[in-house]
Amino acid sequence: MTTATLPTRRDEAWRYSDIAAVTAAWPLPAPESIIVPAGGHFARAVVQDAGDIQQIELVLGKGAVASLHVLNIGGAFGRIELAVTLNEGADFTLGAAQIGGGEQNLEIVTTITHAEPGATSRQVVRSVLSGTATGTYLGKVAVARDAQQTDSAQDVKAMLLNRSATANAKPELEIYADDVKCAHGCAIGELDAMALYYLQSRGIPPGEAKKLMLQAFVAGVFEGAEDEARLQELALAKLGELV
Amino acid sequence: MLKIENLHATVAAKPILKGLSLTINAGEIHAIMGPNGAGKSTLSYVLGGRPGYEVTDGSATFDGADLLDMEPHQRAAAGLFLGFQYPVEIPGVSNVQFLREALNAQRRGRGEEPLSGGEFLKVAREKAALLKMDMDMLKRSVNVGFSGGEKKRNEMVQMGIIDPKLAILDETDSGLDIDALRTVGDGINTIMRRPGKAVLLITHYQRLLDYVQPDFVHVLAAGRIVKSGGPELARELEEHGYAEIAA
Amino acid sequence: MDDVKIKDQAAHDAAAKVADYEHGWSADIETDFAPKGLTEDTVRFISAKKNEPDWMLDWRLNAFRHWQTMETPDWAKLNVPPIDYQDAYYYAAPKPKPKLGSLDEVDPEILEVYKKLGIPIEEQKVLAGVEGARRVAVDAVFDSVSVATTFREELKRAGVIFLSISEAIREYPDLVKKWLGKVVPMHDNYFAALNCAVFSDGTFVYVPEGVRCPMELSTYFRINAENTGQFERTLIIADKGAYVSYLEGCTAPMRDENQLHAAVVELVTLDDAEIKYSTVQNWYPGNADGLGGIYNFVTKRALCQGKRSKVSWTQVETGSAVTWKYPSCVLNGDDSVGEFYSVAVTNNYQQADTGTKMIHNGKRTRSTIVSKGISAGKSNNTYRGIVRVAPNAEGVRNFTQCDSLLLGSLSGAHTVPYIEVRNPTATVEHEATTSKISDDQLFYAMQRGLDAEEAVALIVNGFAKEVLQQLPMEFAVEAQKLLGISLEGSVG
Repeated sequence: MTTATLPTRRDEAWRYSDIAAVTAAWPLPAPESIIVPAGGHFARAVVQDAGDIQQIELVLGKGAVASLHVLNIGGAFGRIELAVTLNEGADFTLGAAQIGGGEQNLEIVTTITHAEPGATSRQVVRSVLSGTATGTYLGKVAVARDAQQTDSAQDVKAMLLNRSATANAKPELEIYADDVKCAHGCAIGELDAMALYYLQSRGIPPGEAKKLMLQAFVAGVFEGAEDEARLQELALAKLGELV
Repeated sequence: MLKIENLHATVAAKPILKGLSLTINAGEIHAIMGPNGAGKSTLSYVLGGRPGYEVTDGSATFDGADLLDMEPHQRAAAGLFLGFQYPVEIPGVSNVQFLREALNAQRRGRGEEPLSGGEFLKVAREKAALLKMDMDMLKRSVNVGFSGGEKKRNEMVQMGIIDPKLAILDETDSGLDIDALRTVGDGINTIMRRPGKAVLLITHYQRLLDYVQPDFVHVLAAGRIVKSGGPELARELEEHGYAEIAA
Repeated sequence: MDDVKIKDQAAHDAAAKVADYEHGWSADIETDFAPKGLTEDTVRFISAKKNEPDWMLDWRLNAFRHWQTMETPDWAKLNVPPIDYQDAYYYAAPKPKPKLGSLDEVDPEILEVYKKLGIPIEEQKVLAGVEGARRVAVDAVFDSVSVATTFREELKRAGVIFLSISEAIREYPDLVKKWLGKVVPMHDNYFAALNCAVFSDGTFVYVPEGVRCPMELSTYFRINAENTGQFERTLIIADKGAYVSYLEGCTAPMRDENQLHAAVVELVTLDDAEIKYSTVQNWYPGNADGLGGIYNFVTKRALCQGKRSKVSWTQVETGSAVTWKYPSCVLNGDDSVGEFYSVAVTNNYQQADTGTKMIHNGKRTRSTIVSKGISAGKSNNTYRGIVRVAPNAEGVRNFTQCDSLLLGSLSGAHTVPYIEVRNPTATVEHEATTSKISDDQLFYAMQRGLDAEEAVALIVNGFAKEVLQQLPMEFAVEAQKLLGISLEGSVG
């Protein structure tokens, strides 16, 4: 993950980044390194609300279980980058949301490496973007040659509230083992008009209806988080700013 | 037709069959009954040549030829049909295509001319009608989206089209309602109760035997046949349970 | 017809005996080479050889000068040793002969080549002049020069222009000038620029307004001369309300040296026009140890310029040592439709990095992507695609399905989709799965009498069915056989 030289948009992992902001922050501090020992448990909520580039390297030992909950909402350019290595039978869960308005550029970049057999990973990422904001998810799942019985899923959805907002997604699979279950789904769209109408017909004003639906869209990713109530509250407040 | 002597087999290094002997002659219908875990399905897979089922001792010959020495498709071409307990789904491959290719591969193996599309469809239609299966089902992908009962009926249609010498039917009655059970029973009788053919029914319950009358019934327990008899043995088992008989 | 069938079969068998590779032989035909290497003189030589007008030579030189400043793209998941562009011939043509009136006058050895290629029976019938045969026009590109064109007269009556691109440059300069390089600009990428400079021949099709092309058009590409890069150039224009279906099939003889192939295909559809472009790519993939094989760097792009126009790409890619190919659609016209259906099979040491780009600029434009990748042996198979929705493109829909099937534990299957959406009314969906042939499926099919290879071929064809169904009938049959042949030796 550590990039020795200042990246450009030609670098795959920075292709949608605000390079001026990256340059200003350069050089980046060393990524935070977390090692979860064999059989260990780890959970963390990560909130990016100041326009930082946060890099975390996570290594899960045999049978270790980790879950990260990420909320990416702040600053002109906010980037959360995760590099997760899974050893035998480890289990990783990511629930992430990024909500941006104005001219914000927010990105979540993940590389999940299934280095050994029998590990599982689940990633659920939701983005809501308004104004001329850009929200990017670059998610790579790499399965090493002998990592049989890998079970990995990526579920990526984005909502655009304005014509000038941008959602980018690159759910990437790199697979070198044959007995694996790897699936990803990605959908970008707008709020279901029928559902909005239904809520309004029951007396909920349009803005509220929209907020309600966006809240529902985002809320699922924080279920079971360390700090669920705080994350939901922050997400809801940010949504309130956009709608 | 089928002669099994002192068969020992392991699955994942665990011994399952421990000296099983059984002889089936042409024209006979045999039923093997037994409690769960007795080795019933293992027997069918060993005879079908499924990878992972290792024979460690004993022999099995089919019309005098060494069955255990043949590849699965060679066993099929020799006339052995295995009705699966859990028929496998093959997305994108229609039943018609699957069966025509299978049948013609078998015919090639026996040095016979392949059937044309028209000839094949005629046979397929006839057998589907016999088993009250809609031709539309035959056009769908192999077992994909079929209910449990439909899958079993599909196995019988396949048996009718392939027209084997020996059918080994593994728990064919499971998942069937009474009507389907009758249809399948009629199918087995019509297709297989003929001179020169034989059937080995593997079942946990008596109920299929109400429709297909076996000539011989065997009780399989702990990897061996512990008791053999006539049709009355099946009723006895139903009344008294396996524990008593197998003991 | 039976006669033709038997001959066709016999030719197939004969070819199969020559080598493992069904089309692995080289016909002995006199070739006229350009000197080895690539300089401005090479470009001038090719242009002169083809009696091109000055504007064309200038265009080529321009491209050549630009190419010299460019670098080989390195973003694909491909491991390609550096190519020495000076160590290849850029022009090879059968010795000029008098213009031919019919295929009967074609060099019998070339006809023999076609027979061995197993040109589909329907087309054999057409070539044999059988009454009532379904009509398919074949523009045969042998090495670099179009040697025979059938049915030109009948097409002409319908107003369809179907020519080699060299002829079109001379006979329809205005049409060519208007569109050549407009879909794929000369500076688009390294290989496209190279093609612009040295393209030897190819196909030109123009279907005029309101005309449904009365037959399927077909070109067979062959690489025949040793060390000769193939630089085909295809331009197809469907005017308002026109329709054409075009079939492209490739086979190449067995060679130990790697051969470079850098084609450019440009399609243009105006209002309500439709082009269906089908490819079966069966270039020599190299041997089981990864020696030899074609390097296939192709730029294929369609410009759906007109409203309600449609382009459908279908490809079955089984050949080449290296495939770098992204047949794309730029959907400019409102309500235009782009489709991409692909089956890519890699075995042994083959590498494929293929996919598509759907660029949604027009309102209510729709695209469908179905990609089926099958990796066997020690091969690597990558789907790479972009779906991009512009800010003003309201009501766009895209659906993408990428499925990978792995055979054996030494191959790789990769999916690299880029999704870039700038309009909130877009609905973009992407799904991907990875699976293998289960032991249960194999055993079940074998229990019904198929041997291991037949069982694999059957299951793989089922996996690829959605794509194979898109192919015209005669191609579909060939493609199914090809999938089986390509995977031989990958099981057991």
